[in-house]
Amino acid sequence: MDPQLDISKLTDADKQELQQHLANETQKASIQQNVHALNDTCFKKCIVGKSITSGTLDRSEEACAANCVERWMDMQMGVLQKLGSMRGGH
Amino acid sequence: MSFLGSGSSKSSEDIKTSLLQQVQQEAAMTNARALIGKINENCFDACIPAPGSSLSSKENSCLSSCMEKYINMWNVTSRTYMRRMAEESKKMGGDATSLADMGPGL
Repeated sequence: MDPQLDISKLTDADKQELQQHLANETQKASIQQNVHALNDTCFKKCIVGKSITSGTLDRSEEACAANCVERWMDMQMGVLQKLGSMRGGH
Repeated sequence: MSFLGSGSSKSSEDIKTSLLQQVQQEAAMTNARALIGKINENCFDACIPAPGSSLSSKENSCLSSCMEKYINMWNVTSRTYMRRMAEESKKMGGDATSLADMGPGL
């Protein structure tokens, strides 16, 4: 870290702007992390085990990748819903 | 006031900009590192089932195809995920941030 970056010199307006930017960056990073984890899972399901001859996704691989994400999200929403109903007691 | 170094002359604006730049650089670095790590892991599994004394040309070409494929798939995954997240948050009343923060929790 640059020692010349003295954050106590920031004006309140700049501080606030910086905070907003940081919140955005944090959210972006968290989404990227989710995509990394999801892509890892789906690559294992859709690609690993077949012989890899080309760098492009063929039609079935692309469909598998999209389906994998969609079904993962279905599961995620299902689990959340189930947990919600368990906690709500009905 | 110091004649040496430009430290004392940095304005609030300068500090804000360079802090933000640093954060963005770090984020891009972290993202790239995660991608490289996943590619190594998956493509080693996929292309080198039985490591020999050196990489064969077949393994080499598999690795480069695999890397390209992984990145192509990353883009599909990202696009599909973002689209679905937007759809789900619309269903729940348009609050996109709370849902995105929750993430798929892998």
